[in-house]
Amino acid sequence: MKQPRILVGLALASIALAACGNSTSGGSANKGTIKIGVDLPESGAETSNGIPTLNGVKFAVQQKGSVDGFKLEYFNLDDAVNGVHDAVKGAQNVQQFVDDPKVLAVVGPFNSGVARAEIPKTNRAHLVQISPANTNQCLTKDIYIPTALSGKPDVDCKAAGLPFPKDLRPTGANNYFRVATTDDLQGPAMADFALTTLSITKVGVASDAEAYGKGIADTFSSRFTGKGGTVVKRQDFPNASQVHDFTSFLRAAQRAGAQGIYFGGTDSNNACVVRNQMKGIFADSAPFMGGDGIVTGQCLKDAAAQAPGMRGTVATVDASQRPDAKATIDAFKAAYPNASDYGAYTMPSYDCTQIIIAAIHRAIQANGGNMPTRQQVLDQMSKTDYTGALGHTSFDDKGDTTNKVVTVYEAKGSPVDWASVKAFDYTNGL
Amino acid sequence: MLVVLLAPKAASDLSLFVQILVIGIANGAIYALIALGYTMVYGIIELINFAHGDVFTLGAFLSLPLLGAFGLTEGKSSGVSVYLALILIAAIVMLLTGTINVVIERVAYRPLRNAPRLAPLITAVGMSFILEGIMYFWRGASPIHYPDLIPNPRIPLLAGATIGLKDIIVIVVAIVLVILLTVFINGSKLGKAMRATAQDREAAQLMGIDINRTIAATFFIGAVLAGAGGVIFGLYFNSVRFDLGFGVGLFAFTAAVFGGIGNIQGAALGGLAIGLVQAFSNAYYQSALTDVWIFAILILVLVFRPTGLLGMQVPER
Repeated sequence: MKQPRILVGLALASIALAACGNSTSGGSANKGTIKIGVDLPESGAETSNGIPTLNGVKFAVQQKGSVDGFKLEYFNLDDAVNGVHDAVKGAQNVQQFVDDPKVLAVVGPFNSGVARAEIPKTNRAHLVQISPANTNQCLTKDIYIPTALSGKPDVDCKAAGLPFPKDLRPTGANNYFRVATTDDLQGPAMADFALTTLSITKVGVASDAEAYGKGIADTFSSRFTGKGGTVVKRQDFPNASQVHDFTSFLRAAQRAGAQGIYFGGTDSNNACVVRNQMKGIFADSAPFMGGDGIVTGQCLKDAAAQAPGMRGTVATVDASQRPDAKATIDAFKAAYPNASDYGAYTMPSYDCTQIIIAAIHRAIQANGGNMPTRQQVLDQMSKTDYTGALGHTSFDDKGDTTNKVVTVYEAKGSPVDWASVKAFDYTNGL
Repeated sequence: MLVVLLAPKAASDLSLFVQILVIGIANGAIYALIALGYTMVYGIIELINFAHGDVFTLGAFLSLPLLGAFGLTEGKSSGVSVYLALILIAAIVMLLTGTINVVIERVAYRPLRNAPRLAPLITAVGMSFILEGIMYFWRGASPIHYPDLIPNPRIPLLAGATIGLKDIIVIVVAIVLVILLTVFINGSKLGKAMRATAQDREAAQLMGIDINRTIAATFFIGAVLAGAGGVIFGLYFNSVRFDLGFGVGLFAFTAAVFGGIGNIQGAALGGLAIGLVQAFSNAYYQSALTDVWIFAILILVLVFRPTGLLGMQVPER
């Protein structure tokens, strides 16, 4: 008997909403609470990763306050164990989100390895998950390094030692989205940077012979030679962590006319020791280039006095490079004044949260003003058409952002640190 | 075969060829210093001391806090005082690694001296992991930058190629230590005891040689050289890591077998050979196949000379 009265109420509510235009703040009426789960590494050495990122979520939630009469809250859990991000802890955290019926979406995680453990749990619950920072291709795509980018046969995720996206999604449907683009664009971006900004046409290329390192070295080489550059020396070093001397490769590359070195690999595989060993063989000004595996504090330590002049790519937008984002960043910094409050992933997580709130809003409307189900929120995510601090974001059928920007960082300054110097936008293709 | 492979490379760019030759010799010198420890221990008790490579790494690790204690910092310290401090530090490190290796021998090998051959082999592998574990907990898994304290002015060789001061130091130190060791083993009383013990342990004991002391001395001297090698490695490459001993140790051990295990000059020659093959392969051929080259050559040499290049010197039976 109560049904007609609710319908009347809904009709009134929708009229009220229509009157308010697109505003998502639902006025004073409190129809309940909607929570956004946040899983990030928040403690120990990871504090500087997780806390500024969490602040982006907090800021967005505080700005909105409520959506269509539902109070908005964030529910954050730390996935760091002993100060280091932990996949098992991450999976336990998202289980808590799954078990809380008020949680309609999850922001996080920070690390791709943690995402791999979490996605199956959120997927079974049809719970939207959106990451501000994950860049590993295999979270969304079957091919780790496509032929189109490397000029070599496809390397699929299994060959790269990673599960396929479908293995992470037991329901068969996608529930995972991200605002960072994928790592396979890193090599091409650095090739473009070398040719256009550094104006060098001859490089020596090496890798640690692992899926990540060889992949970005191959994609770099393919783009670099395709655009008129020459790779004068190419080597791969299996068990690179056990290789202590790269100087004969460096000598040979230098004699062949290399103006710089591209090394595909990670700091733990001695990538930045290679930079240190360029001393005395190359001029100090000769660039050393790589992927996000070298854009780390450890890398600066390994390269030591040779650190300045290293360039590395990261497959995300640096919002501070975008004039359009200035107002949002300024507003954030007014609310969170400490220098350590803001980080590279504050604005990505802010945009993630705004995208989620918008999807929840659409889901509430589609559900006649009532608390939507998780599936209903998920259905709205693919319709995302959002312009924010990172630029314009929508999602392809895999959950990847259509906003494909890679940022180049340079080690410079005193004390030496990584600073973003240029962004490459591949939204409209390479 | 090697000449056929390398001659055209040398002809096309002599400067680079000489440059790579220098890198190979310097690496070979470091391998030789470590190989000596393997070869001495094997020569006397037929044990592959897997922990030896890690004792070498420990030498580099132990010198790091000492550098700080002596106030040596990269970019600030220079002059003769640096060399004096480094020699003192190297001496302390050599004493420490020597002592640690003697303790390892006493704890993990001596009680098993008459046990089946596999038992001390496994305790040696165990000691290797224990040392790596200690260094991992001490300084973490990442590479550690080793201060660059020695200036490296380059002295012209032929065809525009140069040799760095560091290369010269590494090569000279290795040659001097190998000569000293040879003289010591051939000339001194303890050296004679070591040779006697190596030849026939029981006969040596009957002749009044203290076997335990002689074997301990062998471990001590081997580790002293490894400790020196660790410090030199750090100063030369400016980067060390906890698991360094695994890779470097494997090649040093291979060098010892290559040259003829138990044979001091053989270890030096084997180290040199491996250093050269690595350098030339990484410069001219595929670095991905460098290890394949090394072990292919090793197999060829052992097939035709099963006792290594200069012949084995191990206990008779």
